[in-house]
Amino acid sequence: MSATGVAVGVARELRAICGDENARERPNGGVYVSPASPEEVADVLKLANECHLSVGPAGGSTERSTAELNTDIALHLNRLTEVEHYDHADLTVGIGAGTTVAQLSAMVGADRLLFACDPPSPERATVGGVLARAGHGPLRYGYGAVRDYCIGVRFVTGDGRRAKGGGRVVKNVAGYDLMKLLIGSYGTLAVITSASFKLFPASRQTRTYLAEFATAREALEFRDRVMLSPLSPMCLELVSPGARKLMRPEMTSDAWVICVRAAGSDAVLARYRKELGSAVTRELEGDSESGMWKAVEDFPASQTGQVDQPHIVELTVWPRDVQVVVDTLLEATALGGPDTAVIGRVGIGHLLVKSYGGLDLRRAIFEPLTKNLKGKVTVKAVGAANPWPIPPENLASMRAVKQALDPNNVLRGREIF
Amino acid sequence: MHFLAVVDQLRKIAGREAVLDRPEDLMLYEYDAGVRKCTPVAVVFPQNTQQVAQIMRLASSTGFPVVARGAGTGLSGGAISPEGGVVLAFARMNRVLEVDAENMRAIAQPGVVNLQLSEHVAHLGLYFAPDPSSQKACTIGGNVAENSGGPHTLMYGVTVNHVTGLTAVLPSGDVVHLGGKAAESSGYDLTGFFVGSEGTVGVVTEITVRLLRRPERITTLLGIFETIDDGAKTVSAITAAGITPAALEMLDGWTLRAVEAACHAGYPLDAGAVLLIELEGLAEQVEEQAEAVRDVCLRESAREVRRAKDENERALLWKGRKNAFAALGRLAPSYYSQDGVVPRTKIPAVLRFIQSVAEKYGLRIGNIFHAGDGNLHPLILFDPRDPAQLDLVQAAGAEILECCVAMGGSITGEHGVGLEKRDLMPLLFTNDDLDVMLSLRNAFNAAGVLNPGKLFPTTRMCRETSGPSTNPVLQAEGM
Repeated sequence: MSATGVAVGVARELRAICGDENARERPNGGVYVSPASPEEVADVLKLANECHLSVGPAGGSTERSTAELNTDIALHLNRLTEVEHYDHADLTVGIGAGTTVAQLSAMVGADRLLFACDPPSPERATVGGVLARAGHGPLRYGYGAVRDYCIGVRFVTGDGRRAKGGGRVVKNVAGYDLMKLLIGSYGTLAVITSASFKLFPASRQTRTYLAEFATAREALEFRDRVMLSPLSPMCLELVSPGARKLMRPEMTSDAWVICVRAAGSDAVLARYRKELGSAVTRELEGDSESGMWKAVEDFPASQTGQVDQPHIVELTVWPRDVQVVVDTLLEATALGGPDTAVIGRVGIGHLLVKSYGGLDLRRAIFEPLTKNLKGKVTVKAVGAANPWPIPPENLASMRAVKQALDPNNVLRGREIF
Repeated sequence: MHFLAVVDQLRKIAGREAVLDRPEDLMLYEYDAGVRKCTPVAVVFPQNTQQVAQIMRLASSTGFPVVARGAGTGLSGGAISPEGGVVLAFARMNRVLEVDAENMRAIAQPGVVNLQLSEHVAHLGLYFAPDPSSQKACTIGGNVAENSGGPHTLMYGVTVNHVTGLTAVLPSGDVVHLGGKAAESSGYDLTGFFVGSEGTVGVVTEITVRLLRRPERITTLLGIFETIDDGAKTVSAITAAGITPAALEMLDGWTLRAVEAACHAGYPLDAGAVLLIELEGLAEQVEEQAEAVRDVCLRESAREVRRAKDENERALLWKGRKNAFAALGRLAPSYYSQDGVVPRTKIPAVLRFIQSVAEKYGLRIGNIFHAGDGNLHPLILFDPRDPAQLDLVQAAGAEILECCVAMGGSITGEHGVGLEKRDLMPLLFTNDDLDVMLSLRNAFNAAGVLNPGKLFPTTRMCRETSGPSTNPVLQAEGM
C-alpha cells in the first residue's frame, strides 16, 4: 500500500493503540503516531507488518530523509523517555529512546558524569536517533564511538517482536551483540525503544589549544605529531578555513586549524602546552572553550546566510588518507566553485564535509575519492534516502540480516536495498 | 558421507599431513579449558582462506558439523566438537599479514597468539589491548569468537572495541570481507555482530585490529585489605573518585596464598584480599592518580598500599595474577571457573553470596577477578574423576550466575556462553530475545553446520529475571 493509501480502518486501529491525540493523519495521507510505551511500538509494528505498511521511525528529526517522509506511518518515539536504570555509582544508565541527548547529558552531568556522545543539535537529537545513525561529535576521538559504550538495547523488530541485546553491565558477552547490528542501521532492522550506556567521569577541568596553519598538509603534520606524542586528548579536530567562516562569519583568516582539547590538572595541562609547542596560537577555556566546541558539534546543523541547502557528507578514511580527501575536495572546489567546508575527527580519519552551490557530489567527490583511495573510503550522505551512496560491499549478508528481523520490509525509512 | 570419505576429502583440500583422525591424536582436541569433553571425528589444519571455503562447502553439502578452534584455552566449551564433528584448527594460519603503523592497524590470521601480536609490533611502540589471562597461548581468532576481555579491558574495552575488519567464510563457502582498516564502514556493522558470535555464523580467517600506542607511564599499586568486604567496597570508591584505572583486579586471601606459593609474586600471605590497580597515561596524570588511589584505599580501610618500584616488581605482581588459575592446580585436580558480571557496587554482596554457596555445597571457592568492571571469576575446586562432584560444582556455579543476573548482571563477561552456559541463557533472555538471535544465526547458518549446540539453550525455561529472590542472602540485599 502506498503512502497515500493508509486505510481508514488501519488509522482507526492506530488511534486505538496510541490514543486519538497520538495518532494523526499526515498531509501526505499517511499517519503520524507517537506511542507511549514499547508495547505500543510493538503493536504498531505488528499492525504495519500484517497490513504491509511502511514505517519510518523518527527521533528529533535532526536528519530526516525523503524516504522517511514518504512512509505510511511516521513512528515518533518522543514519548519514550523513561529512565530504566540510573546507577551513577556504577557509571551506567538505561533510558528511553525518545530522550534527547541534552536531557540525558544534563541528568548524568548533575552527578559529574559524562554521556560521551555529542551529536549536532543535542536539544533535539534523541538517544534512539543517535544510535540509529551511529551519530557522534568531537568527543568520538577520545571516548570512542557510541558502539563502544552502548551496553544494551531494547527494540522491536520489523515484524513486531520485542527483544533485547546486551544488558546493563559494562562487560557482557552473553548472546549476540545486537547493539552492533542496530547501531548505524538507520532504523531499517528494528525500532530501538531504549538503551543502556556506560558513562564516564566528567572532567573537572579542560582546556583547548588551537594551532593554525597555512595549509592542510601542515595541519595534518601537526596532527601526526600529537598522535605520536604521549598525549591523549579528548578531542583532536581539524577545521578548514571554510568551516571556520561558517561557524564564525566574522572570521576572515584562511588558516587550517587543529583543535586539541585536553582534560586534567594544572600540571597535566601544562604538559600539554609544552608538548604542543610553538604551533599553539590560542588557548581557550571556560565559556569561550565550550562555545567553540558547541559550534563544532553543531557544524552540520548550523544555519548560515546561504540560500541553498547544503550537501552534507561524512567521510571515513584511513587516517593517513585525510590529505588525499582534502586534496580531492580542494580540486572539486576549484572546479565547481562552491563553498566547501570541512571539519572532522582527523585522528581517526573522519571528516564532515558541507558543500553549497549544487556541486555534483558523485562526480566531483565520490568518484575521484574512490579512485584515488582505491575504494577505501566510507561515505555517509546526511539526510539522503540512501545513506550510503557508495553501496556497501556486503549487501547479500545485509539482506539476510534484514530478512531475519524485518521480513516484510516494513522499516523503510531509508532506501538501502 | 561416511567419515572416512570425509577425511579423504579433507586431505585432498588441506593436504595429507593437515588432517588428524587417529584416536590418540583426536584426544588432544576433545576438550578446552572448560569441563566438557567430546571427541571429533577429524581435525583439519587449513592454511588459507580458500581451503576454509572448500571445507565449509564440503561440510554444507555433506552435513558434518564444523567447529573452529584456536588454542583451546576457552572456558565455555565453545571449541569442542559435537558428535561426528570436524575441528577446524587454526594453528597453521598463524601469520601477522600486515602491520600498518601509520594507521595503527594490523591484519592477523586467526591462529596468531594474542601476546605474539603485541610482541610483533612492540618495536613500533604499539600493542594490541585485549589481554586475556591466557594471552601467552590464546589466539586472536578465539578472542574474536568469544569477544574476549582481560584485565585491561576496564580502560580499553573488549575485543570488539579493537576489531575493525574481518574476512570470514560463511557456511555456504562464500568469503565475505566485513569492515576494513577504517574506523567506520558502509552498511550494517557486521564486523561487530560477528565478533562474539562464538563461531556460529561464520569462520573468521583474517582479522584487522586496532593497535594502541604504549603509554608514557604505567604504574601498579597493590592495595592490601584485612577483609574481602573492604577490598570490594574500595572498587566502587575508586570509580566514584573519578578514576578509571587501566586495570583493577581483586584476589581474595585464600586465592592469593595459593598464588603466592606457586608464583612468589610478593603478595602478603596474611591479607583478607588485595587489589591490583594499574594506572596508565601521561606521567603527570599517573602520578596524581596514584596518589588519589592510595588515598581512597586508605580511606576504605586498606592496611597498606604498595607501589611496584620498577618494571620487574610490576611484572611479578602481574605474573601472580595471570598465572592464578594455574596456581590453583596445586590445591585440586581441577577447577570450574565462572564468569558472571554484576554492577561493581554489588561486588561485596555477591562475594558474600558466593561464600554462602561454598558453605552450602561444601566446596572450596576462590575469587580472583576483574573487579573494576564487576566481572567475577569464582573458581570452584573439584576432582573431575568423581562425576558427582562435577554435578555439584555445576549446580553451585549455576546458583552463583542466577545471583549475578538477579543483581542486574550477566552470566558471562568474557568467556562466552558455549556449551557450558547455554541452558542458563533464559535467565537473561526471553523467548522472543532468543528467537531473534536464532533468526540471525539462521540467516547465516540455517543448517547448523557451524558450531551446533552452542550458545542457544536446549530447553526454554522462560523464567522471570526480576522477581524477588527466595535466597536469604539475596533477600538481605533487597534482591
